[in-house]
Amino acid sequence: MKLVIDEKRCKGCNLCTMVCPYKIYKPGKKPNERGIVVPELDRPERCPNCRLQALYGRTLCGMCQMICPDQAISWVEEKPGEKKKVAIEF
Amino acid sequence: MTFSDWLRADRLPHIFCAGCGNGTVINCTLNAVDQAGLEKEETVFVSGIGCSSRAPGYIVTDSLHTTHGRALAFATGIKMANPALSVVVFTGDGDLAAIGGNHFIHACRRNIDLTVVCMNNMIYGMTGGQGSPTTPRMALSTTTPYGSAEPAFDLCELAIAAGANYVSRWTSYHVKELTRAILAGLRTPGLSFIEAMVQCPTNFGRRNRYRQPLDQVEYFKTHGMLVEKVRRLQEEGQEIPPETIVLGELARRNRPAMGVKT
Repeated sequence: MKLVIDEKRCKGCNLCTMVCPYKIYKPGKKPNERGIVVPELDRPERCPNCRLQALYGRTLCGMCQMICPDQAISWVEEKPGEKKKVAIEF
Repeated sequence: MTFSDWLRADRLPHIFCAGCGNGTVINCTLNAVDQAGLEKEETVFVSGIGCSSRAPGYIVTDSLHTTHGRALAFATGIKMANPALSVVVFTGDGDLAAIGGNHFIHACRRNIDLTVVCMNNMIYGMTGGQGSPTTPRMALSTTTPYGSAEPAFDLCELAIAAGANYVSRWTSYHVKELTRAILAGLRTPGLSFIEAMVQCPTNFGRRNRYRQPLDQVEYFKTHGMLVEKVRRLQEEGQEIPPETIVLGELARRNRPAMGVKT
């Protein structure tokens, strides 16, 4: 699974940067074509939902998805053959 | 099924301002409705007028967008006509406490089997930031430019006094707890009242030193206190810090209820 922010829905309130326990969301720098500064993802492969959602069969933490007032955050299936990044934390 | 299946994807993005907590409360409510295992055909969302009352327009189920303050009156009619339906009422503080105040206390008195989710943003957001009955003391708004001189309504105390079966209060920061509270409310027969404190960065925050949405959510995070801790502090005779928001399940009881699904 892959973490994505829907740029069409996001309004740039940065609430996700506050709640993520892994600090995956960083306040963005550049406005997109709608003039909204969408948060950037900092190594989203660290998110437990990306790795373990399919294994457990349920959403694990999901704080960012729940607090997002614009329903912009979701996890999507990766396309077959897509390159996966693996993050190891010490 | 997840809560996103309950949203009308073609209507999104919604009209709420950036950082408005109403969207969070919609997420939590839909998540609770989803977890309760309700059918889309057997659930009705009712709302009055205001920012919060735009919510049923983004949900796929049958919904009613009614006159100002009369959401509970319409919901009572739905429930009495067909008790098999699960009725969830979205309402704001101005809708519920000011214009619909009488409907609210009488719905609590009758103890009709509704779930009332009140998004309390402490101001009339949609009409330009007028002071509402829940505007805290000394808070600035367009009608109270020197600070609100009146004490604010405590909606949960009001619901308990009027006789609601389940009363709890959470904020838009406590998403998991809010989901759990709405789920408990859906499962409790009788009127369940869940007050969700939400941030209003455009009209409340801008005038009251919370210019960013994060500032007011941070305030909810730091000033929220569980009701168990508040009661313990009161028993020990200690002082409760000012501006504390009492959170948690404030009442759960078994008064006789009307319109319960059989």
